[in-house]
Amino acid sequence: MTQIVVVTGGLRQPSSTRLLADRIDAAVRAELGRSGLPVTSSFVELRPLGRAIMDAMLTGFAVPELEFAFETVAAADGVIAVTPAFNASYSGLFKSFFDVLPAETLADMPILIAASGGTDRHSLVLEHALRPMFSYLHAIVSPTGVYAATDDFGGQARASGLAVRIQKAAADFVRLMTACGTRTPRDTFNEELDEMTRLLADRQPGPSSGHVED
Amino acid sequence: MQFGIFTVGDVTPDPTTGRTPTEAERIKATVAIAKKVEEVGLDVFATGEHHNPPFVPSSPTTLLGYVAAQTERLILSTSTTLITTNDPVKIAEDFDVLQHLSDGRVDVMLGRGNTGPVYPWFGQDIREAVPLTVERYELLRRLWREPVVDWEGRFRTPLQGFTVTPRPLDDVPPFVWHASIRTPEIAELAAYYGDGFFANHIFWPASHTQRMVAVYRSRFEHYGHGTAAQAIVGLGGQVFIRPRSQDAVAEFRPYFDNAPVYGHGPSLEEFMAQTPLTVGSPEEVIERTLGFREYVGDYQRQLFLVDHAGLPLKTVLEQLELLGGEVVPVLRKEFEAGRPADVPEAPTHESLVAAVRREQAAGSDDAGQDS
Repeated sequence: MTQIVVVTGGLRQPSSTRLLADRIDAAVRAELGRSGLPVTSSFVELRPLGRAIMDAMLTGFAVPELEFAFETVAAADGVIAVTPAFNASYSGLFKSFFDVLPAETLADMPILIAASGGTDRHSLVLEHALRPMFSYLHAIVSPTGVYAATDDFGGQARASGLAVRIQKAAADFVRLMTACGTRTPRDTFNEELDEMTRLLADRQPGPSSGHVED
Repeated sequence: MQFGIFTVGDVTPDPTTGRTPTEAERIKATVAIAKKVEEVGLDVFATGEHHNPPFVPSSPTTLLGYVAAQTERLILSTSTTLITTNDPVKIAEDFDVLQHLSDGRVDVMLGRGNTGPVYPWFGQDIREAVPLTVERYELLRRLWREPVVDWEGRFRTPLQGFTVTPRPLDDVPPFVWHASIRTPEIAELAAYYGDGFFANHIFWPASHTQRMVAVYRSRFEHYGHGTAAQAIVGLGGQVFIRPRSQDAVAEFRPYFDNAPVYGHGPSLEEFMAQTPLTVGSPEEVIERTLGFREYVGDYQRQLFLVDHAGLPLKTVLEQLELLGGEVVPVLRKEFEAGRPADVPEAPTHESLVAAVRREQAAGSDDAGQDS
């Protein structure tokens, strides 16, 4: 079963970011379905996690509901990440989620980036903000992102229309996911342990006991 | 089971008065706290080590030597001694002198430190923290166990024909604990050598501690030092106590809300639910602390943090009175009651010397049988 996880950073209800996320999710699932792959998807909405994300930033640990979101993302075969465009970038909440997400969670993760904004003048936010961040996090970012301006939701169905762009992005993403094959989530805890075991095995003297009484 | 106090040594303004103690006041207060720990019947006092403001304990064995001279029973320890940035030769020398002065009332808790710039300030690279720890600790062990050391490594100038002086008291080095918050490598290191493992525990969810201690115990057994249940485990704890629960909460809240580590984030109530912090009556502290055993097993050492976040000395001393008078006596009894016979106590200088003597006696018996 292919598991798609949609991370969406919209703040209001209803949210155009969520609306965009829903449409991309549907297109990706349909595309995977055409390839004969069974698929499920789940959403990680960031707004209800707002306090948990900021607390994690301040305390260094995640409360259970945020931990659950981390595990959901870690277990995904592909991630769709959608943010509102704020001040020429992603929203602070969206960035903060990925700032507290444990390191290497997104390593080798196919990811489709998308953003919503007031006007189409902000569309390069995908290329200047989202793509570099996810590249830095070692995700495999799909070449085609989706940017939706408010006007797009009233736009006519045409060659450059939102529906066509979503369809193209979904098709590219599914090709990428299929090519990437099955993903094994990183286990940094045991990787670190194994590294230490190797380091200690290279030391000269063996372990010595002595203090534990029989 | 050993009970005690560990201090970070922060100089923090008291949020209720706005007053910041001077460094001199903080250092003298730390000594007063250490002496009180012995007076109220606790066993261990451990000081942190930091090399930047707002902390004062940059020279732990100087402080502990001064405390040793004014105490009789108290075990002096650290929380933690930075194995990454201190020269192992200096660690061996400092703790050997302290061991002689205190008649063996010393152990040492090694850690890696948590301030990035400390590494470059002392000529090290934080990206090498793990191999640095392994190499330095191995050298420290050899310095303490071999009369003459020839040594070469990556991170220190070589030693040829080097003898640490003075030698450890009775030729038995201080017991070593390895401390960590969530670094599994440290649990592995402690298990490999059969040393103690101290889980910081405070400021973090218990699930982290549970996982780390489980790794340490199973690897301790794997390396042949005893059963998993016999591994030597210490835990941190954080408490604020008043006879009435609501008084404790009301008094501690401003300190909590403004604390440098966790302030301005979750509420006191949330943090109490998420971490081992217990603010309440002696009974509540007893119940919570006894619960630690449920996720780490029977353990050997419990240290409490009571003197941070700007709490005034008078308040801290009152906390120690409550711990020593009402909390720890019950904990001693209850922990002892459920403890299997084959789970050892925390090693002390006396028990380590006795173990060496037994081994030597067994060795000469074997030699006698061979001849």
